[in-house]
Formats: sequence, C-alpha cells, structure tokens
Amino acid sequence: MKPIRSRSVRAIAAIAVAGSLALTGCSSDSGNESKDRAKTQDDAASQQKPVQYADAAASNGPAAEVAGAKSGGTINVYVQSDLSHMDPGQIYVSDAGQFANLVHRGLTNFQEDKNGNLKVVGDVATDSGQPSDGGKTWTYKLKKGVKDEDGNVITSKDVRHTIERQYSKVIFDGPTYVQTWLSGADYRKDLPDGPYKGKHLPDTVLETPDDETVVFHFNQPRPDLPQALAMAGYAIVPEKQDTKEKYDKAPAALGPYKVSEYKAGKSLKLVKNTQWDAKTDSVRHQYVDGYNFTTTIDQASQTKRLIADQGEAKNAIQWTDAVDTAQIQDVVSNAAVNKRTVKGYQPYVWQMSFNLDKIKDKKIRDAITYAIPAQAMVQADGGRYGGEIAGGLFAPTLPGFDAKYDPYGKLKKPNGDLEKAKELIKEAGVKEGTKLTYAYSNSPRGQAQQVIIKDALAKIGFDVQAKEIDRATFYEQIGKLKNPYDLYMTGWGQDWPSQSTVVTPVYDGTQIADGSPNYSHINDPQVNKLIEEALKLEPAEAAAKWEQAHKRIVEEINPAAPVYYSKTIQLFGSNIGGAKYSVESSYIDINNVFLKQP
Amino acid sequence: MLQFLIRRSISAVAIMFLIAAFTFFLFYAVPQDFAALSCGKNCSPENLAVIRENLGLDKPITTQFWDFMVGIVAGRDFAVGHCSAPCLGVSFKSGDFVWDSLMDRFPLTLSLTIGGLVIFLLFGLGTGMLAAWKRGTVVDKLASGASIVLSSFQIYLLGPIVLGIFVYSTGWMENPKYVPFTDDPSAWFIGLLIPWAVMATIFTAQYTRMSRSTMIEQLQEEHVRTARAKGMSQKYVFFRYAWRGAMIPIVTILGLDLSSLLAGGVVTEFTFDLAGIGRLAVESSLTKDLPLTMGAMLFGAFFILILNILVDIAYAFIDPRVRLS
Amino acid sequence: MTTLTKVEDAPNPTGSDAFLSVRDLRVQFSTEDGVVKAVDGLSFDVERGKTLGVVGESGSGKSVTNLTILGLHSPKTTTVEGEIVLDGKELITASEKEMEKLRGNKAAMIFQDPLTALSPYYTVGRQLSEPFMKHTGASKKEAKARAIEMLDKVGIPQPQTRFHDYPHQFSGGMRQRAMIAMALMCDPDLLIADEPTTALDVTVQAQILDLLRDLQQEFGSAIIFITHDLGVISHMADDLLVMYAGRAVERGSTREVLRTPQHPYTWGLLSSMPRLGGDLNEALTPIPGSPPSLLNPPSGCPFHPRCTFTGEVAGNRCADERPSLAEGRAAACHLSGEQKQTIFIDQIQPRLR
Repeated sequence: MKPIRSRSVRAIAAIAVAGSLALTGCSSDSGNESKDRAKTQDDAASQQKPVQYADAAASNGPAAEVAGAKSGGTINVYVQSDLSHMDPGQIYVSDAGQFANLVHRGLTNFQEDKNGNLKVVGDVATDSGQPSDGGKTWTYKLKKGVKDEDGNVITSKDVRHTIERQYSKVIFDGPTYVQTWLSGADYRKDLPDGPYKGKHLPDTVLETPDDETVVFHFNQPRPDLPQALAMAGYAIVPEKQDTKEKYDKAPAALGPYKVSEYKAGKSLKLVKNTQWDAKTDSVRHQYVDGYNFTTTIDQASQTKRLIADQGEAKNAIQWTDAVDTAQIQDVVSNAAVNKRTVKGYQPYVWQMSFNLDKIKDKKIRDAITYAIPAQAMVQADGGRYGGEIAGGLFAPTLPGFDAKYDPYGKLKKPNGDLEKAKELIKEAGVKEGTKLTYAYSNSPRGQAQQVIIKDALAKIGFDVQAKEIDRATFYEQIGKLKNPYDLYMTGWGQDWPSQSTVVTPVYDGTQIADGSPNYSHINDPQVNKLIEEALKLEPAEAAAKWEQAHKRIVEEINPAAPVYYSKTIQLFGSNIGGAKYSVESSYIDINNVFLKQP
Repeated sequence: MLQFLIRRSISAVAIMFLIAAFTFFLFYAVPQDFAALSCGKNCSPENLAVIRENLGLDKPITTQFWDFMVGIVAGRDFAVGHCSAPCLGVSFKSGDFVWDSLMDRFPLTLSLTIGGLVIFLLFGLGTGMLAAWKRGTVVDKLASGASIVLSSFQIYLLGPIVLGIFVYSTGWMENPKYVPFTDDPSAWFIGLLIPWAVMATIFTAQYTRMSRSTMIEQLQEEHVRTARAKGMSQKYVFFRYAWRGAMIPIVTILGLDLSSLLAGGVVTEFTFDLAGIGRLAVESSLTKDLPLTMGAMLFGAFFILILNILVDIAYAFIDPRVRLS
Repeated sequence: MTTLTKVEDAPNPTGSDAFLSVRDLRVQFSTEDGVVKAVDGLSFDVERGKTLGVVGESGSGKSVTNLTILGLHSPKTTTVEGEIVLDGKELITASEKEMEKLRGNKAAMIFQDPLTALSPYYTVGRQLSEPFMKHTGASKKEAKARAIEMLDKVGIPQPQTRFHDYPHQFSGGMRQRAMIAMALMCDPDLLIADEPTTALDVTVQAQILDLLRDLQQEFGSAIIFITHDLGVISHMADDLLVMYAGRAVERGSTREVLRTPQHPYTWGLLSSMPRLGGDLNEALTPIPGSPPSLLNPPSGCPFHPRCTFTGEVAGNRCADERPSLAEGRAAACHLSGEQKQTIFIDQIQPRLR
C-alpha cells in the first residue's frame, strides 16, 4: 500500500496554510517511551503470527460484545479531507478502508481478537472459503439473511457482479489481485464493458451454480484468496444498486452503517443501517447511532481540539490522520492526554530504492546503505512516534518479522557507518565527486529528508543532484521504467498480513512495468523463483520461502536500503470507549468503539 | 444609466470569458499529466489511459476548451450524468460537478460574509462616525487607538486566540461549524458566532478608521460649511451633508471587500476549519483539480464584476453628478 | 465718511448705532506648529444698508474674521477674544443653538467658489428651501414658492424647472446667483460676501455685483464685502478696511482710501493693480517680499520687513513699536501725516496715473 500519495495530497492544503510544518519529535526521553515501545512491540508481535482461516462457527454472528460497551450517541470523526472513494471497487487506501469496514461487507473479513490475533472469517460468506483442486478452486456459500440497505437479499449474482464490474472502466483505483488471478494481467480485455452489457465471465472462471454459491477457478493455487477477498476493494456491490460512476458518491450499504449525507470536501454522515443483522456478522458492532465526519480539519486542529477535549471533541476520534508532529510532546508529556491515544506500527517500510539500471555495482549500493543516517531520517518524519529504524524490508506488521534482523548494522549505528561506507566506495573505485541524481517528493518530509541524504552522501564523496518532484505525481514519475533518477525514497505496505503482498509487487522481476511498484527494477531469477513457489503455498508453509527471498533481496541484491518502519499515534476524546489500536487496519479499531456516556 | 449598465454587463461577460480561457490554457501550458494526479495505487499505463478517457483528457486541448465553454452555456453529459448549464465541468478529484460543489460551499461563504458584514458595518461605521463627531475627545482617541491596534491584527492570529479562550480552555463555546440557516437558525447563529466576531473585529477596526477619516474630511468640505452657515443644525449637517459624501469612499472599499469575501475568505475558513469557497479554491489549486480551480476563479471573478457594477449603481444613487452625466 | 466714528477704544458697544460692531477681536488657532494669530486686535462697525469692503492679501485674516462673526470656526482649536455685537446681541458668548437661529436668518454668507460651496448631492431647490423651512417654520410648499421667487429675483431663467436641478447642472454664474438667492432666502440683515465674484469671469462678475447692489437697495441689508480686488471694491463699498497680518492697517471711506491712501501697504496694493487704459508697457509694481507668517509675526509694525519707507522713520520704531490705528479715517503707520502726503504725491501717485 502506498499511503504516502493519498495522505500527502490531503495534507497539502493544511501545510500551505500553516506555512510550515515543524518537524519535531526530537526531544528528551520521557518515562512513556519504554512503555510505548513495549506496547507497540506487543502489537507487532501479534501481527507476526500467520493468519488463520476460520470455519463457519467462527464466522457466525453476532460478534463478541466489547466489555462495558453502551449503545447510542454519535461519534464525531475528524479528517483533513475527503475519503478518496466510497465505491468499494475503488477503495485501496486505508482512510476509505476504515470507512468500508463500517459500510461495506465482502465475502470474507478479518476478525481480530483482543490480543490482536487475526483470523479470516466468512463475512457475507459462511466461512473463509473452501479450497479444492490443490487451492486452484475456491467455493463460497452465502449466509442467509444478508441484505443491502434497501432490504434486497444478497445473492451469488451480486458477488459475480462485484467481481465483473472491476473489469470495466468504471473501476481504476482499486486492487487488481483477484481479477489478475482469474484472467491474467490483461484482464480488462476479457470483459471490456464489465457486466454492464449483459456479458459475463465464463463458468470456467467464475461460476454461480445457484443463488447461494460462488466458485472461483484459477489456473494455479491461490492460497491467499480469503485474505484478498477481505480487502475493501472486493466488498459486495449489489447488481440492482450499481450506479456505475455515481456509486462512488452514494454506495449501498451492507454493513451496520449507511451513508445518510455526503458533501464533498465538507462532511459525511453515517447512520444505522436497519437492514444489517448482527446475527450474520461476527466482526462488527452497531453501538453508536452514527458517525459525523467533518472533512475539513487539518491535523494540527484535530490535535488541538482533542487535547482540549471540550464539548463535541469529547465524542471525537481521529480517523487515519495522526497527532500533529509539532504537538506530539504536548500529547505524550500529559498523562491525561496520553491515556487517550492509540499507538502502533503502520505497515509501511520506508526504503531508499536504487535504480538498478543505473547503480549496477552492489558495493556502491551497500556503501549508500551504510551511510544513510536512519535516525535523522526518522526525526524528519515525526520522530519516534512517526517511525522506527528498519533493519530489513519486512515491516513489523508482517508474519515472520524479526526485530533483530540487521545485516547493515542500522540499529547498532543509527547515525550511519561512514567508515564502512567509505571503504566500500574505495573498493568500488568510485571517483570523488561522482554525480548521483536523487529524486524526492516536495512534501515537508521529502524536503527535510533530502537535506539529510545530500549531506550524508556528500560525506562519502558523491555529488548529489537533488531533483524535486510534485508530491502528487511522485510515484508516477519514479514509476516510469526509463526514469532518469539514480535513487529515491519509497514506501510500501502490505495489502494483507502476508509477505506475498510486499515481495510480489515490489521485488518480483516479472512484474517490472511502467507504473509498477518495482521501483528498483530488481529482476533476480532466484527471487522470482522463490516468489513463484511461495505463492502456491498456504501462508504457514510459505513463510520459510518468503524469509529466504527476503534475505536474498536484502543481503545479496540490495535493491533498496531499509530506512525506517512507519508508526502512528492517534488521539480520541474522553467519552470514547473501547478505543484500541487495530492490527488489521493499523489505526484505531473502528469495530470496537462506543460512547461511554451516549 | 441603463445604457451604462448594459455596456458594463456585456464587458463583464467578455471578461469572464477571457478569464476562463486564460486559466484553461495557463493550466495546460504546465506540463502536467492530470490523469496521474487522480491515479491511485495501481498507476499502470492501462489505468492511466482509463482515467484520461474518463476525464476527457484524451481529446485535443482545443476540443476540451470548446466542450468546456459549450458546457457553461448549454450543459453537457458526463459519465456520472448530465451536467446542466451553467456547467463548469467535473472535479478531477471528487468527480462532483463543479457548479454543485460551488453551490454547496456558497451558503457558508455567504453566511460568513453577511454575518460579518452586518456586524462590521454597524460597529465600524457607528464607531467611526462617533469618533468623527467627537473628534479630539477621549471617545475619539479611544476609538482611533483601538482601531489602529485591532486593524493590524490578522484573523489567523486573533482566531486561534479566541478559540483558545472560548473553546479549548473554557469550553464555553463549541468549535465553529456551519449549520444551514434553513435547518436551524439558532445553531446557524451560534456556530458562526466566533468567525463572525473575529472577522468583524478586524473589519470593524478598518471601517472605523476609514469612516472616521472620511467623515472628518467631509466635514471640512466647503459645502458642509455652507450648510452650517445656513443655520442647519450640527446633527443635520453631519448626517445629511457630510455622511452623503463619506459614503462614496466607503462604498468603494466595501465593494472590494465584499467581492473578495464572497469569492471566499480563505484565511477565515482555514482558521476555523470551515468549508467555503475559499478552501475549495485553495485545495483545488493545490491538488491541481483544474475544473474546480477554474470554477472557483470564475465564481470569484463573477462577484468582482457584479460588485463593481453594484458599486457604480450605488455611486449613481449617492452622487447625482454620476447619475446625470 | 459717516460710520467709522467709533474706534478701538469705543467704551460701550451697545451705545453704538452700528448694526454690527466688532471690538478688539482676537482669533487664534492652535496648530501642531504653534499658535497662529489669525486676527489680532481688530475693530470695525457696519451700519444697516451700508457696505463695508475688506481688502487684503490672502492670509490677512479677512475670511477668518467673517467666519468668526457667524461662529463657523472650529471651537476646539480656536480661541476667540473681544466682542462681536450684532444688533445688540453679543455673539462670541452666544450658544450654538442661538447661533444656529441666527445663521442664514439674520446673517447670511455668500462664499467664494459656488461649485464647492454648494452640496453636489442635493438639488438647488432643496438647498434653498432648507434654511427657510428651518428659520420660518414654513412648509415645503411655501419654501419652494419662496425659493422659486428668489431664483427668479437673482435672474435665473425658468426657476420652476431649475429648482429641481443639481448645482453641477448650473453654469458658474448661475451657481453664484443661486448662492446669493440662498443667502437672501430669509431676508438677512447682514450679508457677508466672501470674494463672491473671484471665481467668475469679468462680465458675469459685473452682473453679480449689480445684482448685489440692487438687492441691497431692496432689502436694506448691511453687507461685508471681502475681496482682494480693489477694482471691485470701488464699485461696491461705502467704507473700506485694509487688513494686513490679521490687523486693520487703514480705514476710511472707499473714496478716501482709494484717492488718498495713507498706508504704505495700501500704496503697494494700488500700485500692483492693473488699470484700464494704463500704459501696457508700464510695469506693475508688486509689493516686495511675501506676507508674514502668522505663527511668528514680525515685531513692531508687521509690514516693516516689506516696507520701503522705514528709513523715513526715526530710530528703529518700525521694527520695535507697533503703530496704532487711530479713530476714524486713519492708517496704522509711524510715518507722520506730512510724510505720508509727501511720499504719496511724489512717489506713489505718478505710478497710479
């Protein structure tokens, strides 16, 4: 996932008005630190367990009650700008993902216990899916009594419609996993108009033998399908309700809440969906009467309001925004306020991607990797509540995360190892003053980090040419195969807690293309082969293969220097109950919240 | 006079057209792939092409401009439906019709403007005239002093101070928010009270200074002295003779202020987290949402032109020399 | 020479038969730079039905004196001392209310520039009617009839339609006529005309002057006619007061002052005035130097720095001692009567012929 793009676009306005964004967070140690660190490591640890696929029993509603939960009241939601999308097919980023969790339902869903252990359960389907034919065929039965907000019963035709509409031009922003698995990379050619002109995918691909059954046929095992289907992007769009492009403004709800009013750039109101039946849902609750989003409040203002905790702010939460970096100290140094925070890892790993078409010598890549002062880079992105130095390219949120993995000694030498770097540069025979082109996004973070990188690389003899790119099109520019840059900072996060959603898109040589997130253009036969093998295995069995691929990538190829794992800290009002960090969403757990005094 | 109005209206339309053309081509002169801006996580060339087609960016610029201009007059069709005239296009980012977005934001901007206007005209002109009447007295000195201090304040400074006192620390008031007048007049009033007060304080100060100095200037006019020499009472001379002349500079400045307020009070809106035309304009230009930016610009230009005409009409009412020439 | 019998030391103003009597008037403005002595010890009288001409350069205190009579000075920055008695009533101490009743009613004023002195925002008719309604309690209709009558009287054609016009629709001469009509609305006993013809061209000027004279005969008002133009004054005034630096330097009947002027300043004024039928090649003789600063007036005779005859006076009297203005026909100058006569006949008169 690339939250960076969507978030930076949203942050622009606030920054423009605020003038400058102070990047602080560099401060004296407080007593909270060790506790915080311990807590986030706890959360991360839970994320390391492989996801389990649950049976029908676990998929049955209602969901376990949250301790002390009360019903009623409305939660106020502070957001800096609009949700990117409301049409589930278009939803790929987390702000809309949180929203989707309240409004939409897919075939499957993640269930998170109070320790943060994740299970895939059936949501609209009775269970997480029945594989056959060695994982090439997956069968889903639909629960009885699942209806849309107008009371229409959801059938297998609606599921087929949901998948097929992703082939049309109406959808261009959502995930493409399932379509690609079903029909290949050129999937759109198989059904150019989607289902809208009466054509459907053949039964050999997607089959609906009766109203309650959906069968997916793949040409190779797809063990991750239950997790892919849990993405918001594959939530059900009932055939009768589909208004194509207009659906993005007024989607039909299957979840506990529905959209009652939406005003672009201003506000969004969710109210209870009376057609939602708790008995069919093992994950969600309907404690509050609704959610009122105000989509005009920048992070600084959100933080200020929540610290003050006056009036309506008592009932307010942050959505996917974090505490304003300039005010982090005010938050963590005040015990009463700090109590009202959730903290945790986000799934993103910030890395210095090398353009392997340009920097071909691994010694140079290693030298730069050693030279980067990771600590300073973290400081430039909110300090220890914004990130943590990375040893490898797997985030703490992925199964198999090893906190001690540190082949380049980044944890031991957070300010970089210039001696080692210089040595390697000498070995590589690089002349003093060799030019390197570094592309960076013109976000405050990008600009602050640019200075650090330029300085660090100058110390090992490079003449760094920093090229600024508009933050809005940064990934598009560096995503071009023939881009003219030598190196650039990129961030990528998992789509679900599986290494497959990191290694495959970012480091698979067969995926290299314009616009692909394989920004380094790594194409290593060994890695490619490991990916191919791992993808066919159940998550638990695949773990070893992924670990092997990870080590090969980091230690023997080094296409991207690990810099830091991103973290978040969010605030909520004093009347919010049940607030906790969600491992699945990596934000406040929206399934858990209620008002203490409705 | 009628002829004058017709002439002004025609030139206003022409200016609007020029502004539209200018913004349009200026944006396209910047080498920028607008499709890439709306392209999310899967920014493959295929998806880019789909977006380009959806936004109509695959057509030649001249065709796009023609479609845009036709849309304003006659409306046009988009994937999301028919956009009736005046159609300013569809936002790249939200996919909403630009006109609808503007109309959605306008009530807030209008409320802010009208509320502020009532307060600052009442207090500003009142205080200014009182100070002019009591020129040289303690009242005048207090009013002039306070207005100099306050008019050097800015909304982004005064706003957070007021919020800090009345909202964050005491909790006497809620954070400002906009509730449509038609939904709940008292919530509308309470929700906008702080922005009005802050905005009006600064404007009141400016209008106090302006009305004081123009009144004093007018009181020194010869015809005002003539009126006194005729035995007219001081009050009569003040309100009939001097005030009439003082209205001309005040109306001029008011026209300028109003048109910029109606085009969107950017600072006010950001200070109080409100979503009006100003925020729309700034955000759209930062996200390079061309249709929205153009829409906001044209909307602002519309008010500038309209208010210019209104100010000219006001001149004619105030000053017979304008009316009869 | 009939009216100017009482002078500076007149003991009892009420005993005077003058309609307006000004005694030892001192007007001072406080400005940022200091105190300006705009009028410094001025005394004069005006009788009913007569015209007093007041001449002097700009800044000599002519206009200030007359604004002060009507109380139109700014009370906050101005100090007024002395006595102004109009028809037995003390004006300096009068309340603003009393002054309002008097202005435009018993005493009216005609200003110099009718374009700026009339409000551009109201019709001529309205501006004429207002004071009439206020002072006589007349209805709008009566006021309108009176205004049309007056407009007719001052020679404005089609007064019924012109009543509704705005000042900018009038020509310069017409505006001045309207201004005069406005001043005469309430039959004032005293009319102060402050350079009423300066802004007009010569033919119109003559018409206006004729008009003023005719009206004076009809209404019997006393007129104070302020001007810097001695040519104009010779046709208008019965008596003349020459002012310099806020003081009267010479007074007498118009005829006397113009025929046998006694003060070097008056000589200068006359010499610098072009005459009809004069030799075109003959140079005019302007008064050397410039009018004194009233912030810091010269010691002694205020005219001494510009006076060419100080050498004729023994010692340093001109610079040290302020010459007084005697009663009646007089000039405030240290030159002896004989000297004045000799100098005038030998040096000045030839230049005036």
